[in-house]
Amino acid sequence: MNDHEIFMNLIKNNISEMQDTIDSLYVSCNACTKNILLNRLRKNMSNLSMLVQGLQNSASASVGTGTYNPQQNSTRMFTTADLAKYNGKDGNPAYVAVNGTVYDVTNNAAWAAATHFGLTAGRDLTSEFTSCHAGQPVLSRLKVVGMMA
Amino acid sequence: MNEPNLNCTNSKMRLETASVLVHKAINAIGQNKIKKGNLIWLELTGCSGNIISLLDGADPNFKNLATQMVNFIYDNSLMAAEGESAMEKLFGVIGNDFILAVEGAVSTKNDGLYNIIGRWRGQAVTAFDAIKMLGEKASYVVAVGTCASDGGISAARPNPAACVGTQNLLGRKVIKLPGCPCHPDWFLGTLAYILMFGEPALDDRNRPIMFYSTLIHDMCPRRPYFDQGIFASQLGEETCMFKLGCRGPVTRVDCPIRKWNNRVNWPIGDNSPCIGCAMFGFPDRMEPFISYDTTRKE
Repeated sequence: MNDHEIFMNLIKNNISEMQDTIDSLYVSCNACTKNILLNRLRKNMSNLSMLVQGLQNSASASVGTGTYNPQQNSTRMFTTADLAKYNGKDGNPAYVAVNGTVYDVTNNAAWAAATHFGLTAGRDLTSEFTSCHAGQPVLSRLKVVGMMA
Repeated sequence: MNEPNLNCTNSKMRLETASVLVHKAINAIGQNKIKKGNLIWLELTGCSGNIISLLDGADPNFKNLATQMVNFIYDNSLMAAEGESAMEKLFGVIGNDFILAVEGAVSTKNDGLYNIIGRWRGQAVTAFDAIKMLGEKASYVVAVGTCASDGGISAARPNPAACVGTQNLLGRKVIKLPGCPCHPDWFLGTLAYILMFGEPALDDRNRPIMFYSTLIHDMCPRRPYFDQGIFASQLGEETCMFKLGCRGPVTRVDCPIRKWNNRVNWPIGDNSPCIGCAMFGFPDRMEPFISYDTTRKE
């Protein structure tokens, strides 16, 4: 199964969950239950927005290649010293590296002021990423700017 | 721009959650459908900000809690009893059904010697002892505020008293209500739910999803500025404070709707970035709270 199919399956699952939730909303008369159902809808919407963005990234990267591979999409090479300049300070963009790929987090909401849960941009954060976000489709939302040398 | 849209069903219902639950619980108690709960509130290693915040509650308020919902057996700041007789009340609850609310972290260094909460039968009782003795026996344990939930400010670097959150010391589920302080609605709504239905639906960090399901960023009245890339470059500008280091995009709680001090205002509504006080890792992992030499504008 390629990335496109995985995204499509996840989107279908989300839509089917949303349909169930809407059905339940029609029959529920308890305010607390309604509240929980509305929260669930909002979570599905947030998932959908993330998945659609991932799908777009995947589609734009896979033109002519069939699969999304950030390595084919960006040839700029970074050394650790190069990366350190992109720390988000003094007007510089904020880049981070994960598993050899360098991502732009300058305008990523979770990286306000180029910091994220005590981590700073301009570094290789592979181990930190793995310990917190393993298995989550987080990276697909980020713009790839290059590779680690 | 700073007002949440209360024509939105979701916002309106969320705002009313605590009030609806508390009044349902009070009615059910009045009709003898359910019993009043016994409540113990322990103030451990913290600033007592959560009990002060609770006193500031408005619809539901503290009077609803103390007179109609629970037998409020122990809280060292509010009770009339003192010394040994107060401790008798505290430990006298063992053997009965009770709900334990904890605020403040637990100091663990030197067997908890850095926080002694009273003397009982001639012996000093540490916060560590109290949480061990009462935490395992309570029908529910609710960590009120960030320190009790995850260590919070009490456990911030360099953490000289080796403070930890309540969950670290108990081999049972602790319902967490992080926030510095905890909003009165979050506690009263959760307590009312427990009295009527038992444990509320929790997320993967044991926070009730009725209050902690969405990011501040999701409901922020300044979100349109973020989406359009219009960012404040200094405090006082009424646009998105992302570039100044706002933690709204990683903080999961409903402040934008509920607001504080009888729903008057909240940090972002007063041009101050969210500092992520309701998120694990606060304060160390939410710093810096404000940044000026930051990324380019795009």
